[in-house]
Amino acid sequence: MKLSVYYTRLNIIATISVLLLGAIIYFFAVNYVIQNQLDGELNEEMEEVTDYITAHQKLPEQKEFENEQIVFTQTNQKTMKTIYANAFYKEIDEKNDDEKNGRAIESIIQLNEKYYKVMITISRESTEYFVQIIAAITLTLMTGLFLILFLINRYLANGLWEPFFFLLKQLRSFNVSEAVSPDLVTTKVDEFRELDNAIHLMSSRVKNDFITLKQFTENASHEMMTPLAVITSKLDTLIQDESLKQEHFNQIQDIYGATNRLSRLNQSLLLLVKIENNLFEETEQLSLDRLIYEKIDLFQELLNSKNITLTTNIIQKSVTANKQLMDILLNNLFSNAIKHNIDSGTIIIEQTDNKLNFRNSGLLQALDEKKVFERFRKGKKSQGTGLGLAIAWNICNFNNWKINYSFDGSLHTFQITF
Amino acid sequence: MKFLIVEDEQGLRENITSYLSDDGNICATSSNLLNAIDKLSDYEYDCVLLDLGLPDGEGFELLKFLKNKMRKESVLIISARNSLNDKINGLNLGADDYLIKPFHLAELKARVEAIYRRKEAHGNNKLIFNEITIDLHGRTVTVNDIPVILTRKEYDILLYFIANKGKVVSKNAIAEHLWGDEIDMHDNFYFIYTHIKNLRKKLIDATSRDHLKSIYGIGYKLTCE
Repeated sequence: MKLSVYYTRLNIIATISVLLLGAIIYFFAVNYVIQNQLDGELNEEMEEVTDYITAHQKLPEQKEFENEQIVFTQTNQKTMKTIYANAFYKEIDEKNDDEKNGRAIESIIQLNEKYYKVMITISRESTEYFVQIIAAITLTLMTGLFLILFLINRYLANGLWEPFFFLLKQLRSFNVSEAVSPDLVTTKVDEFRELDNAIHLMSSRVKNDFITLKQFTENASHEMMTPLAVITSKLDTLIQDESLKQEHFNQIQDIYGATNRLSRLNQSLLLLVKIENNLFEETEQLSLDRLIYEKIDLFQELLNSKNITLTTNIIQKSVTANKQLMDILLNNLFSNAIKHNIDSGTIIIEQTDNKLNFRNSGLLQALDEKKVFERFRKGKKSQGTGLGLAIAWNICNFNNWKINYSFDGSLHTFQITF
Repeated sequence: MKFLIVEDEQGLRENITSYLSDDGNICATSSNLLNAIDKLSDYEYDCVLLDLGLPDGEGFELLKFLKNKMRKESVLIISARNSLNDKINGLNLGADDYLIKPFHLAELKARVEAIYRRKEAHGNNKLIFNEITIDLHGRTVTVNDIPVILTRKEYDILLYFIANKGKVVSKNAIAEHLWGDEIDMHDNFYFIYTHIKNLRKKLIDATSRDHLKSIYGIGYKLTCE
């Protein structure tokens, strides 16, 4: 539920209960006041009747009174407390028996040693009309309030929340590696301004941390290159020694291998940092099909050595990308397809207008498609850096392409969607 | 040849010096920019090996110095910086080649030789090693005037060995030379064996002598005698 809807709902419930309660109290209060007034009127009438009797020494006729009904009943009761009660009022001149609500007074009058019970009834019609008006006004007020709250919610409140949704949109599109800082929100609402400030502070802190981390990776990788160069040159010098024996050379060969891996690892890390730093901005029109054929040439020996059958289905296509990155991307996909292939396996390269598939045979087991592009995720037997596919993913991401992995039971497929 | 090695890392400087000196070359060294420029002001060299990140400044300064003075020294940049910008910058300022650390000394030697041949050949594009003559322009090889047909990779390996004659060249160095950065060959040296086996056989057939010597599974050596 939206906050504004929730808020308005509470608002409406509260207002309407207050209004209803007010209407009820109002109704009773008005009723009370009107009743008092009626009772006062009845009292006056009673006094008039008493005066009449005192003056004329006889009971008044009904026709002497216009708006009241008056009934005399002889009684043995000598005194009674004057009582007021609700009663039914009947129009005199009308034939029908339509009875209306009325108010009556009862009292005892003495005339010529006889006692009469007098009951005077007057109509309440006009007062009921009054109550109806009150009810109508209350209802109108309620409807009006309801309508106004609804409109405020619909048009004004949404505008009120606009800065919030703006901030939300910016948060959603927040990218830690992007240099641009989010736009400032222009709002008079303190809460939103505070939120905006907090978000800005947080994003700049996160970005700074990220930059520091990148710089650290870059510097660390960089600083390792020189010692690696020293190791390599020492080994190159060491193997010139003619007194070395076979077992020494075996050890040296292992050191060469490890040094080589370390230096590749470093290069790959540096490359990742560079891609993330957008250092490959120069792009050009590249003929994708020609590039693929070049790579096939380059990898021919590796293919032959594993006796891999290569099938291609390539059409002419040009892409706009950085040449260096495109080379690395294709190299990585090719190396991957060969490295994890089996002897006498197959590789299928399919290229359509907006897709490029590298499909290869290999272990008959699907890789985790979510984790396959993660850094340092590699097969148990792999001697690689574990960064090849991470780099491929980064290059695709850099170019706004999509790369997916799937396994159909026999072939592993890496698909790039341009 | 006379070399000036400008490199602040002592271990690397020493090894480069000893590797290049064995061939009868003369090597001077500098560990910083100022000293290097001093030396260049006083002496002439054939080739300068230049590190970019020096303690007292960028190696590019030295390139500008050479360019301003219209000097003929060849320059090979050796740097840990693997960025296209640095490469282009260096080459624009007159450097002849750019080698990224870490590198094999054999690769360094081959690059230096190649630069030297390009600059000093003066139309003489023949490289002669014992009875083997290589026409560098035509990329053809003859032994005692009889042509030997080599594949592109075999030809590259032969040139590499000649540049590093008398030295043990490791398999890793050859692999990196042939395939460069592009293919991660890890420990797969099968192709090198194949290419070297073929090259060796062709040379033995032509010269009836085996110049290539295997060194205990670590590499090969082209013997000079």
